[in-house]
Amino acid sequence: MQRTTHFRTGAILFLLPALLLFTAFFLYPVGYVVVVSLMKWDGMSSPGFVGLRNYSVLFHDEVFRISIRNNLVWACAEALIQVPLAILVALLLARKPKGWKLLRTIYFFPHVISGIAITMLWVAIYNNERGLLNGFLRLIGLSEWEHNWLGGLSSAFPSVLVYGLLYIGYFMVIILADISSVSQSYYEAASIDGATRTQQDWHITLPLIRGTIATCVTLAMVNGLRQFEQVLLLTGGGPANSSSVLVLYIYKELQNFHYGTANALGTVLIVLGGLVILTVRRLFNAAKYDM
Amino acid sequence: MKINALLEKLLSRAILTLFLIYTLFPMLWLVMASLKTNVELLGDPFRLPAPPQFGNYVNAFKSAHLALLFSNSVLISFSATALNALVASMAAYVLSRYKFKFGPVIFSTLITGILVPVSALMVPYFTLIRTLGLYDTKLALILTYTAISLPLSVFIIKGFMDSIPGELEEAALLDGCDFYQKFFRVIVPISRTGIVTAATFQFLSSWNEFLYAMLLTSSEQVRTLQMGIRYFASQFTTDFTSMFAAIVISIIPSVAMYSVFQNQIISGLTQGSVKG
Repeated sequence: MQRTTHFRTGAILFLLPALLLFTAFFLYPVGYVVVVSLMKWDGMSSPGFVGLRNYSVLFHDEVFRISIRNNLVWACAEALIQVPLAILVALLLARKPKGWKLLRTIYFFPHVISGIAITMLWVAIYNNERGLLNGFLRLIGLSEWEHNWLGGLSSAFPSVLVYGLLYIGYFMVIILADISSVSQSYYEAASIDGATRTQQDWHITLPLIRGTIATCVTLAMVNGLRQFEQVLLLTGGGPANSSSVLVLYIYKELQNFHYGTANALGTVLIVLGGLVILTVRRLFNAAKYDM
Repeated sequence: MKINALLEKLLSRAILTLFLIYTLFPMLWLVMASLKTNVELLGDPFRLPAPPQFGNYVNAFKSAHLALLFSNSVLISFSATALNALVASMAAYVLSRYKFKFGPVIFSTLITGILVPVSALMVPYFTLIRTLGLYDTKLALILTYTAISLPLSVFIIKGFMDSIPGELEEAALLDGCDFYQKFFRVIVPISRTGIVTAATFQFLSSWNEFLYAMLLTSSEQVRTLQMGIRYFASQFTTDFTSMFAAIVISIIPSVAMYSVFQNQIISGLTQGSVKG
């Protein structure tokens, strides 16, 4: 009897720190964001309740529209370009060509290094006068393609977005691990039936790793919604806000002491994240019933 | 048929090599650039440095107080990692081994935190840290980093603890272990793999974190290496080579950590994908 109370105290004590931190850094902040998004507040004077006015202001706001569009483009690009490339490379590595383990290690590298370090590298690559990209174009005789990549109204956002899409290591590792857990007997049976490796990939591997692909698509899309560092360092959202994204906009609104709109933006981001998760789950579940 | 197979092999090699070049070239160029003079770098960016300028590294340390920022980063990342590992494994232990009414609810609430975009929570974090009187302290970052990765760590560690057979604990009980001894002497050593996996992720994300390092601190005394690179970029735009040296210095710990715990990271990602 004494021992069970003793154990109950222990269990409560052990759970307490995690629950405290979780409440302070997740539950309370999410509630706070939603509540303050309904207020007009500069962080000092007393806040006033304004209902949905912050949201209606946002929906008539050009920067907000650009940011939402850019974030959605980013999320879709990650899902439709990055994940398929990761699947392709994972399928190729699953055939265990020479040096596949080393390749797996190297492809993962960019995900170990900080976004700041990688982005500063691309600052040097995109630099207008002395950048590596323009230098390379000159070197191979394509100097008419030289361009002010980060300064151009139409090229700034694509330049910020595109280079990260080709760092596929993170999803590749997840997918490769799942492929290697598929039972060999499926492949043996298919080989006897005369299926080529490509046919096997298409008809056996892909359907069996569908759950993992769904996970990767979710992570990729949420990732596209969270982007910030790349934009801040490469363009600061410019020129003329053409490369702005939600998180950068929240940061700017916070610095301007527009706490109400900053939190309305935060709420939009949280809701978008939730919608992505639900949609992807539904899509992939529907696909399961179809088959 | 034979030709098809050969073509397929060639194509596959070509694709793998392109990704290899894309991943490696910028990094090799970075290391190379950090060993050049500025004149060399701007004149002919693709030529090898002759002779290598290790002085860039000395400059980086001198002009950006890199030593201070580096030690801040080490202190903050290691503290957040240790604290996160302790808090997460204690919670994971209770959630994994004790069946009680609200256990499953607490666990699923905790792990939905993995999917919350924490960058949306800038304003509350900022006001919370200010209210606690922690603005511009290392503790602010340590607490924030510990908390942000908590859901993921609990998820990973609980996954490992779930696979420990119950008999081990019963044996420990018979030997007279109390709750705490059982945890520290039996469970923690056995769950080492899970805890190290979570800790590796935690270290890398704390070391590389940028947004909250920028938002919650303002003075150089408490700032991290990532901020150093940022300021290097804005203040020393003419001294590219020292900036590259600073970047190389900032990625060495992550790369070292990755090299040592590579298998942990890969198995950790695998674990995470099983449930998804």
